[in-house]
Amino acid sequence: MDNNTYIDIKNISMWYPVNSGLKSIGKEKKWIKAVDDITIGIERGEVLGVIGESGCGKSTLGRVLVRLENPTSGDVLIDGQSTKNLIKNDYKAFRRLVQIVFQNPYDSFTPRDTIEKILMRPLRIHDIGKSDADRNTIIKEALEASGLRPAEDIMSRYPHQLSGGQLQRISILRSMLLEPKFIIADEPVSMLDVSVRADIISMLLRLSKENNASVVFISHDISLTRYISNKIAVMYLGKIVEYGDSEVVVNEPKHPYTQVLLSNCASIDPNERMNKLSVEGEPPTPINPGPGCYFAPRCFKAVEQCFNKYPDNIVLENGHYVACDRYNK
Amino acid sequence: MSTILEVKNLNITYKNKKKNVYAVKDVSFTINKGDSLGLVGESGSGKSTLATALLRLHPKHSTVITGKANFMGKDLISISEKELLDLRWNELAVVFQKSMNSLSPVHRIGEQIEDIYRVHKPKATKKEISDRASYLMSLVNLSNRVYNLYPHELSGGMLQRVSIAISLLHNPKLLILDEATTALDVVTQGQILDEILKMEKEMDMTRIMITHDMSVVSSSCNKVAIMYAGELMEVGCVEDIIPNPKHPYTQGLLSSFPSLKGEKKELRGIPGYLPDLSIKHEGCIFATRCKDVMDICRKIKPVKKIVDNKQEVSCHLYGGDD
Repeated sequence: MDNNTYIDIKNISMWYPVNSGLKSIGKEKKWIKAVDDITIGIERGEVLGVIGESGCGKSTLGRVLVRLENPTSGDVLIDGQSTKNLIKNDYKAFRRLVQIVFQNPYDSFTPRDTIEKILMRPLRIHDIGKSDADRNTIIKEALEASGLRPAEDIMSRYPHQLSGGQLQRISILRSMLLEPKFIIADEPVSMLDVSVRADIISMLLRLSKENNASVVFISHDISLTRYISNKIAVMYLGKIVEYGDSEVVVNEPKHPYTQVLLSNCASIDPNERMNKLSVEGEPPTPINPGPGCYFAPRCFKAVEQCFNKYPDNIVLENGHYVACDRYNK
Repeated sequence: MSTILEVKNLNITYKNKKKNVYAVKDVSFTINKGDSLGLVGESGSGKSTLATALLRLHPKHSTVITGKANFMGKDLISISEKELLDLRWNELAVVFQKSMNSLSPVHRIGEQIEDIYRVHKPKATKKEISDRASYLMSLVNLSNRVYNLYPHELSGGMLQRVSIAISLLHNPKLLILDEATTALDVVTQGQILDEILKMEKEMDMTRIMITHDMSVVSSSCNKVAIMYAGELMEVGCVEDIIPNPKHPYTQGLLSSFPSLKGEKKELRGIPGYLPDLSIKHEGCIFATRCKDVMDICRKIKPVKKIVDNKQEVSCHLYGGDD
């Protein structure tokens, strides 16, 4: 990785044991490899888009990055510091550094508290602002700057009195008030109406730019991911199969899976219609896949060697890499 | 071309003790044989209400429906319950977003198909049914094995395919897909859309597709109707409207979708929220959020105009109120 790397994700894995009751006693333990040996670097202020089908492990990756779950192995370095140690030494500092925005804004607020109370809590915990009155002004200014007007009215309301778009804005604000340097956005707009999506996205981008924060944007919407991210990583069964500049990945996909994904993505412009590449079946379960390439059973380019060994990452120009031996055949 | 469905001045009002909600207001459109109409709008714009009214699935005591929906000579709104039972599944079928959840978990897929088949053809033999079923299964790209499986043994995409196959059992003239592919993965959705297009050619079917995803409409329909707050804003052919939207709402909706490969334009949302539908509004319903709003918009309701001989638009920007 080059010197600019700010967030350095190193060989991170998250395996869950499969518990199949009495039958499994004495047998070799089975694992669901939700995230399997992912290494990726993110620069300061960069937006990394992670795309893939449901069940490919993109949300698990997000949860591991904020340490909602402890990874089975591997570590994440932020500015050279291991988060494993950081969280042990100073839990609060880590939580201030790394924040997450979830998919469902209706579920991410305490229903019994007013918005003011909800936004006040993180500020108090992290000692931002001198007094409650001070914090009150911080909240008010932040709400107004994000188009939630009149701020006083909104602050006195309860979550159920606000719309999904407003709540998601507040959810983003709540994370951003702490000025984090690393933000994970896990499908932040997929629950929202199309007409408000654009505003939420621009708000997220504006705030992260102000903080010069790095963002991991997890989504299954390819056109949206391309729109907001600098780099795109394509995941399949816990592995990254292709990574590169978002323009390059979308316009010249190299991995057969990326090609399938893109050709099946319905586009709004009728001129962009492509011939759909079809794949057979659904994604297999991530229980002990392999030994060959995980995508081989569904791949249209697969040959015998694909079933024997998991392909190495083949590095192309500008950091673009693809995990497929036959990408150019 | 013969007309399959002609909806005229349809109004749907939900009633309770305190207030009335005017969910669909004065909607008229026609669908010709072989058309595929995409009905697009935000949540709460009344698209599903409209579809459920055509299927007569609304509870009688709390909904008031006025207007006409002429479906091949029969008025769907006023025919008797008995006539309706004849029509359902035979001529008019539906697939919902969660159709897969309505499959019985304790019966094999095959048994359920037989059950449904015998509703309209009570004397059908097992052989006849399984022949028909295996033909439909092959249309939606499922193997015959599925016939003897239970729903829990299939994935979401496969179950939704089963639901689509079941809806086609009696070769309906009109199929309504209410967000039928929304809950599915990109790849599965793409494949099912492809299969639907193929089926349409083979079975000579007409389709209404309800969705909030413009890209689904643009890749699988030939006509599109944009709905906002219970009213139709713009109706026309996909190839006319998508590159050249006339109504400010359609323009706003389209500019909030990023395109996959084209240049990165700035994404713009539509400011504001849906109006309260329990109040009757004067003037254009979209006026409060419209970027091109004029004085007249707040007072007089625009009438439908045909712009450029192509699309029907309800907006004061295109001509006076004659």
